[in-house]
Amino acid sequence: MNTLINVGVSQMGASSSPSVLRTILGSCVGICIYDRMKKIGGMAHILLPNNPGDGVAEKYADSAIPLLVNRLLKDGAKKEFLSAKLAGGASMFKFNASVTLGQIGERNVEESKKILEKNGIPVLEEDTGGNMGRVIDFFLEDGRLKVKAGGQEKLYYKV
Amino acid sequence: MHAHIQQRIQGIINNLDQLPSIPDVASKVLTMVNDPDISFKAIAEEISKDQAITTNILKLCNSAYFSKGKEISSIDRAIVTLGIKEVKDIVIVAATREVLNKIIVGYDLARGELWKHGIAVAVLSKKIAIMKNKKAVADIAFTGGIIHDVGKTVLALFVQNTFREILELTQARQIPFAQAEKEIMGFDHQEIGEKILSKWKFPEVLKAIVRHHHEPEKSPAEFLPIVSIVHIANTLCLMAGIGIGADGLYHELSDTAIKTLGLSNRELEELYRDMPQILDQATAIL
Repeated sequence: MNTLINVGVSQMGASSSPSVLRTILGSCVGICIYDRMKKIGGMAHILLPNNPGDGVAEKYADSAIPLLVNRLLKDGAKKEFLSAKLAGGASMFKFNASVTLGQIGERNVEESKKILEKNGIPVLEEDTGGNMGRVIDFFLEDGRLKVKAGGQEKLYYKV
Repeated sequence: MHAHIQQRIQGIINNLDQLPSIPDVASKVLTMVNDPDISFKAIAEEISKDQAITTNILKLCNSAYFSKGKEISSIDRAIVTLGIKEVKDIVIVAATREVLNKIIVGYDLARGELWKHGIAVAVLSKKIAIMKNKKAVADIAFTGGIIHDVGKTVLALFVQNTFREILELTQARQIPFAQAEKEIMGFDHQEIGEKILSKWKFPEVLKAIVRHHHEPEKSPAEFLPIVSIVHIANTLCLMAGIGIGADGLYHELSDTAIKTLGLSNRELEELYRDMPQILDQATAIL
């Protein structure tokens, strides 16, 4: 039986096949990392790009990603088998360009990619930006990602 | 525009029986609270007449969000301990839960998502009101937050069949989702919400919140600040994915609302950063 694990805002979840990690995203980004050999993986649901230093690590891309990678390595993952998928980072449909809140989605995606690259983890699939809310399911049996947005579903298989 | 859909919606609005109902005690308490001649005792008696809701209210009074530490076992004690405005808000939570805590198909909201969204917007609205020195209306902002999307409960059925068209119009003409709703179906969820509040005999300020939460600039000037509060709280909750449905973020972040409340970029980002905490507080009420 697949165990469904709900990952909340600024939380992290990690498990192994056949668990499914789920979260709901607006401007937040869901970072899904998978070890295709060990079939273990994890998801971080980050709210903002940069940790001011004293914040909850799971809340920010720059601190959540290293935390998630370490957790997976501790669980037996091997760095060379890890790959990532990204989803979320939507923005409000209309906003005044001087309002920085409107750009948070974009900044979250950028920072997530930057930190993944720094950690040597390739981003294989991406469903980001736009104005949609997304419900994502990350299946640890094969690392596929299901993105439900605007009444439609898309599947991303690359691992 | 689909004339037959517009007619069907008009039919529902004209026939009040087809709009959702809530216990009478809600509108009675809303009216009594604003009447200086009515004693707290009379309000407590009015609430206590409804046994089922009284049980729920007491549970909420003792929840982590509302509790002041001391166990509350009667409505009288609740009013003394928490204050009349807080008890009024709790009455509204208890009275509207059944209408809002369900699956909203057309907007693709799973059971409980619209309810969670409303409560989170309520908690955040109250926080913004206090932060911006509008403590006197913090309770109204809370009530408005709970019910701002009530129109979705009725419009969902029609959105289900027209969703593709609404989304295409949104993209083709670069107009927000609610505006596209109106162009395709003749009504948007804000207008339907206002009709529902008329049926419930809720005051004008709450009607203004429900009617204009996506476009505060259209609100009557006297209600602009409070409508702006709920607008900002709604935006932040949607951005954090709390109760985000098929209409996603196809909404406008109103510059008028930001200016009206005098919110800086930094303040907005701090409010957004604190969303997990808001969500925790909301969860205590669910």
